[in-house]
Amino acid sequence: MPDQDRDVKVSGSYRALDREEPPRALDEAILAAARRELETRPAPLVAPTGRRHWYVPLAAAAVIVLSVVVTLHVQREQPGPEFDGNVAPAPPAQPAPKAEPAPRVEIQTKRDARKPPPAAPASQAELAKPLAGPAESAAGATSEARRAQPMLERQAVGQAAADAVAKRAEDAETPERTLERIAQLRREGRHKEADEAYAEFRRRHPDYRIPERMLEQVQPR
Amino acid sequence: MEAPDEQLMLAYRDGDAGAFEELYARHKGALFRFVLRSVRERALAEELYQEVWIRVIEARERYERQARFTTWLYTIAHHRLIDHWRKAGLKTVSLNADDDPPPEPAAGPAHDPLRQLEGREQLGRLLRALEALPAAQREAFLLREEAGLSVAEIAAATGADEEAAKSRLRYALKKLREALDDA
Repeated sequence: MPDQDRDVKVSGSYRALDREEPPRALDEAILAAARRELETRPAPLVAPTGRRHWYVPLAAAAVIVLSVVVTLHVQREQPGPEFDGNVAPAPPAQPAPKAEPAPRVEIQTKRDARKPPPAAPASQAELAKPLAGPAESAAGATSEARRAQPMLERQAVGQAAADAVAKRAEDAETPERTLERIAQLRREGRHKEADEAYAEFRRRHPDYRIPERMLEQVQPR
Repeated sequence: MEAPDEQLMLAYRDGDAGAFEELYARHKGALFRFVLRSVRERALAEELYQEVWIRVIEARERYERQARFTTWLYTIAHHRLIDHWRKAGLKTVSLNADDDPPPEPAAGPAHDPLRQLEGREQLGRLLRALEALPAAQREAFLLREEAGLSVAEIAAATGADEEAAKSRLRYALKKLREALDDA
């Protein structure tokens, strides 16, 4: 402390004053309170460590928010009912138009994806429609196309999955069952389809011996 | 070698009652005189003094070693005195008023420091001059003399800036010196 903040005479005189002390009873009361405190509330489980920084709770909140966002994003990115095999077959994916006019993409709902083929806008060609008017900027359209890209990819993936399911169903069909299906096509007069199915049958089962009675019903005419 | 105050308080926080007893023994006299000479009434001083220590005890779980224990202790005492004065509506003891008028001479023998310091004229004048100081200046002086705080620590304990604390201390010393020189 600098000398200008100290006065030896004043300090000495002050220290010569009575040195009052608290009464002993007060001392005992305070010390007893201190002991009681330890009995009622033992040592903290986690000792306070350092200064509590403002960013600690903020970081915790950020981690929680990020976790929720990532979880929701992952859930939305996962394929939904498109994989249930009820999706109508759609034409192969076409590249999204890049040049003018910028594409406007309508997001297809899952309900639409379950509609029969003629009504379902399952193809990417139907998903991508021209801009309604020139007022919309190319930047905005590009942004929309970028947002729609994951949807288009999901459509293609869903279509491939549906084809795979159908192929597995065909593979699982027994030769007898296939022949009965072909015979049914003949009876219905759908000979072109029956011929194709029969040719496919022969390709798949070249060594299969068709019973005579069945052969009359399924062979090409 | 004695353990530092902060280490004793941490030990008490962690459950060592003996550490608190040692800490209390170190600070009880100075803190009691600080409170007594701030309020000039013994019964009230005892009550406020006990409450300051109770606050220390209750704050033990939250205690962290961020500053000197002494500064922390007298910060609690300062706040307790502020609470008391605000509750009592005593304008003349506002800590923020450097130019408070001197308080009226205490009435009655129980409040008369001269009765306690009979025969010690010079010390009596000093004590009266101390009582006559504005509250903020008296507090700065007592924190310096009793608690041994530096100007920066006085500023921290009272929530003032260092310049204000230094100014209060200088004015207090000047007036007390004048009271002694009058003899």
